[in-house]
Amino acid sequence: MDNLNNLMQGFADVMDPMNLLLALIGVLVGTAVGVLPGIGPAMTVALLLPITYGMEPVQAFIMFAGIFYGGMYGGSTTSILLNTPGESSSVVTAIEGNKMAKAGRAAQALATAAIGSFVAGTIGTLLLVLVTPIVVDFAVSLGAPDYFALMLLSFIAVTSVLGSSRVRGLISLLLGLTIGMVGIDAVSGQQRLTLGIPQLADGIDVVVVAVGIFAVGEALWVAAHLRRRPAEIIPVGRPWMGKKDWKRSWKPWLRGTAYGFPFGALPAGGAEIPTFLSYATEKRLTKHPEEFGKGAIEGVAGPEAANNASAAGTLVPMLALGLPTNATAAVMLAAFQGYGIQPGPLLFDREASLVWVLIASLFVGNLLLLLLNLPLAPAWAKLLRIPRPYLYAGILFFASMGAYAVNAQPLDLFVLLALGLLGFAMRRFGLPVLPLIVGVILGPRAELQGRRSLQLSGGELSGLVGGPVSYVVYTAILLVLVWPLIRRFVVRPLRERNA
Amino acid sequence: MTVLVGYVPSPEGEAALRAGIDEARLRGEKLLVLNTSRGDAYADPRFAQESDLAHVREDLAALGIEFDIRQLLGAGDAADEIIELAEQAVVSLVVIGLRRRSAVGKLIMGSQAQQILLGVDCPVLAVKAAQ
Amino acid sequence: MSSELNERSVDDARPPRGGDRAQYGVCAFLALLGTAVIVDGLGIAHVTSSTDPVGPRAVPVLLGVLLLVVAVVYAVDVARGGHGEPEAGEDVDLSMGSDWRTVLMLIAAFVVNAVLIEPLGWVISGTLLFWGTAFALGNRHYVRNLLIAVTLSLTTFYAFAIGLGVNLPAGVLQGIL
Repeated sequence: MDNLNNLMQGFADVMDPMNLLLALIGVLVGTAVGVLPGIGPAMTVALLLPITYGMEPVQAFIMFAGIFYGGMYGGSTTSILLNTPGESSSVVTAIEGNKMAKAGRAAQALATAAIGSFVAGTIGTLLLVLVTPIVVDFAVSLGAPDYFALMLLSFIAVTSVLGSSRVRGLISLLLGLTIGMVGIDAVSGQQRLTLGIPQLADGIDVVVVAVGIFAVGEALWVAAHLRRRPAEIIPVGRPWMGKKDWKRSWKPWLRGTAYGFPFGALPAGGAEIPTFLSYATEKRLTKHPEEFGKGAIEGVAGPEAANNASAAGTLVPMLALGLPTNATAAVMLAAFQGYGIQPGPLLFDREASLVWVLIASLFVGNLLLLLLNLPLAPAWAKLLRIPRPYLYAGILFFASMGAYAVNAQPLDLFVLLALGLLGFAMRRFGLPVLPLIVGVILGPRAELQGRRSLQLSGGELSGLVGGPVSYVVYTAILLVLVWPLIRRFVVRPLRERNA
Repeated sequence: MTVLVGYVPSPEGEAALRAGIDEARLRGEKLLVLNTSRGDAYADPRFAQESDLAHVREDLAALGIEFDIRQLLGAGDAADEIIELAEQAVVSLVVIGLRRRSAVGKLIMGSQAQQILLGVDCPVLAVKAAQ
Repeated sequence: MSSELNERSVDDARPPRGGDRAQYGVCAFLALLGTAVIVDGLGIAHVTSSTDPVGPRAVPVLLGVLLLVVAVVYAVDVARGGHGEPEAGEDVDLSMGSDWRTVLMLIAAFVVNAVLIEPLGWVISGTLLFWGTAFALGNRHYVRNLLIAVTLSLTTFYAFAIGLGVNLPAGVLQGIL
């Protein structure tokens, strides 16, 4: 077992005291900012990216692994205690979780969320270890046309499957592709969209884009619409659960994991669908249907596990194919690129130790999270008392520092501001931000693969279709595109006739 | 004339409210209950939620005192609000609850109680929470 | 008995969002951007070779055309009454209008930092940035904020620039820090 050896080596690397400390910092920082209103895991990683440029890549990724799981755990804490989910994936947790907390069972809700996250995260990471090498083996055989098709599928998926409006998703994607195009064309060496500014010849750094859209855009948006009325917080003690709660939780954890991981691993999965599916399943299977809607522990355990397992699943396409499927994975990809590492199937050959350290630290981070957060939950809730001026001043402060640190040029700060205003406008007009980030990251690579495919065919468009994989992918794209039409003209009339 | 109580949903605040009730009855005056929050944090334990206020309202109604509850949001510090209100309304007495604080805490955060003591013209009654 | 809640316009009903006409501005922006991308694309020397039969021009032109198309589709969607929901969030209250004053002050603080970061150095410009943004966001504890801002700038400078080797300019304080 070659991979097992690699993984063991990864664990050995993480166990270094300095690295353990970094994992601990990552988990703490991730949870802290996850708890804070308005800051999600993607923004956390984006803000911390430039700071880690001084570190070795291995150390940086150990920290990111902690932030990755910590941020999600923090988000669910807030949604249970406040009924205001920070991210769409926590919406379901909030339904029953907040009801439980209001009924005086906050400790049990937090416990089942924490332990469920741990179980799902651990199983999800194990599945990641098992599945990723298979995907890699498959991916190595793929040619340029297959990659081009896969990237097209990613584009279509983020624009039309996730989010409510296709036009708006598409606008966001095109804006991202435009931003990604700025700089010198990798093939011909021609300058594009640089406006004659020499500093733009290298393109706009993905990190600056991520920080601008996620952090600055969000800070400006919130600043313009600050909520004044303090929310009601439910006081918590130390999370714990009794025998009966364990009995009611363990199956939902496993079922949630089973839903979450595959959806996360799909190019268009996301965490929303599996969390809803898990909730619906638990509601149907429960022996306490009367409790649903009033605080049923199964309704917290299942979706929370699905959420974490889906997060682990997103790492499969990210590591094996270099395709990001959620915002945090997109920013992590940006981190790889920041270190000059190109994710994709070759990553496992060229940067094997890095990948396995990342995976090992996912396990370690998950465990640390469980050990730390059960006792620390009451302390996290206190973070919500930080006055917003400091919170958002802090975000802008770190965003500026990070953006400047990338290239040490003040121009990046103006680019950051422009992107922040773009992020503000996108929030105002309800344009999703994920397609933009995906466009910036994948755009240049898709162009490269597309042109490579056409080079093989001497410029004939037929070169874009090559091999069975691309046929399958194009069929999938077609299905995604025509699905709304099918639903409109076939499914709905059928349903109406039957009704 | 009115007795003004700075109310916070905490033991200190409850103690202040009790003392305010006693004083208002003794003096035969109206009771004005004030709760404020700067509203700049996501959560503020000093902000009385509807359930807290309902509780206060019930208690006061049961006691049959003439009272008024006022809640200010997005305003300045509690001390400034109390001083301002004490000037506007015809207030005979201000009742506040005191927290135990370390010297360092006072140095960094300042003391709202001190500001009120110095800034209000009428007598101030400072109450500590029951041990 | 009575109880009242004096909040600044929190209880105002959300303004009716009939047609959100500002969205046409987005269409115009997209059309303009599309045109600019096409013009820029056509200005690129058309270099093709056997290794690159497509050349650097095709993709920008295609992208520009797509931007124009999507601008039109979006305009049709808006004309039919489509509107995107402004992003809600745990810290966001959409029932009030946008607070432009705060946003403008934040932008000002941001620009001051961008202009001063090299001449004065991160410690000073970062202090101004934090203090300015906290002020813009409505915090009026001037002295306390200054202390926090200086502490934060100094800590980040020592921890990241000197400790981790992150690029942050010392500026006028070169040699002192």
